[in-house]
Amino acid sequence: MLALRVAPPAIRTDRLSKDYGVGRGLFELDLQVTGQEVFGYLGPNGSGKTTTIRLLMGMIRPTGGTAHVFGLDCVRDSVQVKRKVGYLPGDVPQYGSLTGDEVIAYLGGMRGGVDRRRVHRLAERFDLDLSRRFREYSSGNKQKLAIVVAFMHRPDLLILDEPTSGLDPLNQQEFYALLRETRDDGATVFLSSHILSEVEHVCDRVGIIRDGRLVRVAELDDLRHIRVHRVEIEFAPGTPIPEREIRAAEGVEEMKAEGDRITCTVRGSFDPLLHALRDATVTDLVSTEPSLEDVFLSYFSEPRRRLLTS
Amino acid sequence: MTAVLLALRLGRWGIVGFSLAGFVFNFVNAVGFFQIAGHTPQERAALGATMSALAAQLVVLLPPPIRPDTVAGYVQFRGFNSLAILFAVWALASATGFARADEEKGLVESELATGTSRVALVGSRVLAFAIGLAVAAAMAGMAFVLGVASGNESFERGRVVEAAANLVALGLACYGISLLVSQLTAARFATAAAGAVLLALFFLNSLSRVFSWLSTWRWLSPFRYYDLSQPLPQGGQLDVRAFLVLLGIALVASSAAAFAFWRRDLGGALVRVPMRAGPPRYEPSTSPWWRYPVLRGVYERRLGVLAWSAGVAALAVLFVSLTRTIVNVLLNIPALLPYLSIFVHQQLYPAVLGYTWLNVAQLLFAGLAITHVARWSAEDSDGRLEMALSAPYSRAAVVVERMAVLVAVALVVAAVSGLTLYYASHANGIDLSVPRLTAASLMLVPFALVFAGAGALLASWNPRATVGLLGAFAFASYLDTELGPVFKLPLWLQDLSAFKLFGTPLVTGVEWRSVTLMLLLAAAGVGSSILLMQRRDVGR
Repeated sequence: MLALRVAPPAIRTDRLSKDYGVGRGLFELDLQVTGQEVFGYLGPNGSGKTTTIRLLMGMIRPTGGTAHVFGLDCVRDSVQVKRKVGYLPGDVPQYGSLTGDEVIAYLGGMRGGVDRRRVHRLAERFDLDLSRRFREYSSGNKQKLAIVVAFMHRPDLLILDEPTSGLDPLNQQEFYALLRETRDDGATVFLSSHILSEVEHVCDRVGIIRDGRLVRVAELDDLRHIRVHRVEIEFAPGTPIPEREIRAAEGVEEMKAEGDRITCTVRGSFDPLLHALRDATVTDLVSTEPSLEDVFLSYFSEPRRRLLTS
Repeated sequence: MTAVLLALRLGRWGIVGFSLAGFVFNFVNAVGFFQIAGHTPQERAALGATMSALAAQLVVLLPPPIRPDTVAGYVQFRGFNSLAILFAVWALASATGFARADEEKGLVESELATGTSRVALVGSRVLAFAIGLAVAAAMAGMAFVLGVASGNESFERGRVVEAAANLVALGLACYGISLLVSQLTAARFATAAAGAVLLALFFLNSLSRVFSWLSTWRWLSPFRYYDLSQPLPQGGQLDVRAFLVLLGIALVASSAAAFAFWRRDLGGALVRVPMRAGPPRYEPSTSPWWRYPVLRGVYERRLGVLAWSAGVAALAVLFVSLTRTIVNVLLNIPALLPYLSIFVHQQLYPAVLGYTWLNVAQLLFAGLAITHVARWSAEDSDGRLEMALSAPYSRAAVVVERMAVLVAVALVVAAVSGLTLYYASHANGIDLSVPRLTAASLMLVPFALVFAGAGALLASWNPRATVGLLGAFAFASYLDTELGPVFKLPLWLQDLSAFKLFGTPLVTGVEWRSVTLMLLLAAAGVGSSILLMQRRDVGR
């Protein structure tokens, strides 16, 4: 009889906690990330994203619960864990007067088994000149160097703490493409972010954390209900304003009319609003994405939170 | 005002540490004087003669004493004049810390963004350092007063104030010079360049006491103007002109530094060497050194290793060339002749060289260890440790590799020092025993390891406070050696000092008990460091 052996999940935490006191830290995190997925870890500043990542990397010790990576305990087996992981910390380490190629060689030497051609391809892809000294790099280039270090040994799991901070939009797109390729090659990605649109771009599933507690784990489609935009529409003077149609459009909330202008919020798709505007003469339309904190305040206000978690 | 308060806050640990050092150093010396000096005029005259002999051997470090048979002369010589060197080091660290380290952290940029002008910023830092210096010098003066009171002797209050003021003036001059040099060079060379300039100015003055041809140039050195005033003992006085020159140097150098800071780009040097732009490179470094543990650490510090080796070699040559002069001075002290005659035809030169050079070499190797430890604590705060631990590398391996790198670097520097000493002494007609010279040079490695072991323990326990605490440990260790016999401290306590354990290997050979104790102390430090490292959280 054949015994089927089920591969352990890439990440599993059981009641994982790190209590810094006065309500700060991470509390009873139960999370499972399966292989070959891009998992987004979304939360506002100070919500516990970096604490979770440092616990997974064995940098800090839990005050309760356990964390496992590919079935290995993150504290007890931390060396074996790190053989399988590529890590990008939230704050890029400072390498002073070392050149980029020396930083790569230094960390590659510590890790061993780094493919030089892979480094070349990554550096070229992000147009990162490795002959420059670290202290001469711009913050974006320092971030690119950290990306090369995280990806250079083709790890099975990438743990990335706000990886796109400091990158310009072109390089952000390049990074998203790299993430998708990495997943397609069989790796798992765990990335933290506080930008909703970013996780929408690249993630298969999203965990939402607030005040050190996991609020929800959502599929990508669920995010559309969370995502909200503030919209300001200006109409040509003297032309009719389709106020009733806009108010009735699906996803439109908190509408206010003032002269030739209408302000409202749109949750989910813009199609119903655009449909409502089809016969109007719009002179200006501005859509802004509110901060994650604002989204949380509006969406995860107490009654809804109870509803979601019940 | 806010900028001054911020500067005081940033430098608070320096002020606390050096105030404490000034207090302890002078108090212990003043109290120690009454322990060893005796009470009769004959006993005090004998102490004065001993101090003169000591001063002859320390001529390249300290100016000759005035009335070392009195508590004021003794404390001026051993207390205030030693503190002058310590305060110069503080000035160097503080000035380069402001000019470069704070700039790299973005602190300077933030302060300038508030609308503070560059000149005002420099002025606020100079003022804050002056306040810190005044506090530390006042503590040193107060320690002298309390120490003298414990011996029921009298002192002149004005002389104490003058001695403290002289210390402040020297500190300010060194601060101004360091600040100016830091503006001229690239950030990564700033501390080394300012340190080299201060060291050169120090030796320009101190060597002029031995080599008369240098005396035409010593007016360039601020240390010369400090030496001209020895106000504490009877017969000494504050040279007002020299004191004003010191303040003038501080003012001119600080103003020039402010001008240079105003002219240069943040993060850049005043004088920039144009860089040739080449095609971008996407390959990792091909150097094989990076692949191997320990070797990569030594390779990373290669410029530092070269600088340490060159500096130690240069000092070794200097001390060998001074040995004959020092011996001649000693032979001209009639009170010492009966004692020296025992050694004249045998070990006088190795004894003097061993005392002068190996004492300095111990300080240098303690400094080498402290610079490594400072790097370890910086790795914690700048995220490098976190990155190293993201590789499949255990925490114990990180601690052990750090120590191994220090051993390798110390071995290289000790080998260069030993070889230089051998060839220089041979060229000067001084015969040294090769096995003893080899042993003495190698002894510097476990000596450095004692400090590194303590530093490893501190870096694992509290990286932010490591350098200050290790400096205090080194200071206490030194005091333990110097004053342990005076205060009749228990032997086991004296044996905790690496300075005591080092012994006199050039004359008496290696004491294996001491070597074993040093290695045990280092091993205890490393073992505790590994245990603490396993338990602690890493990351900013």
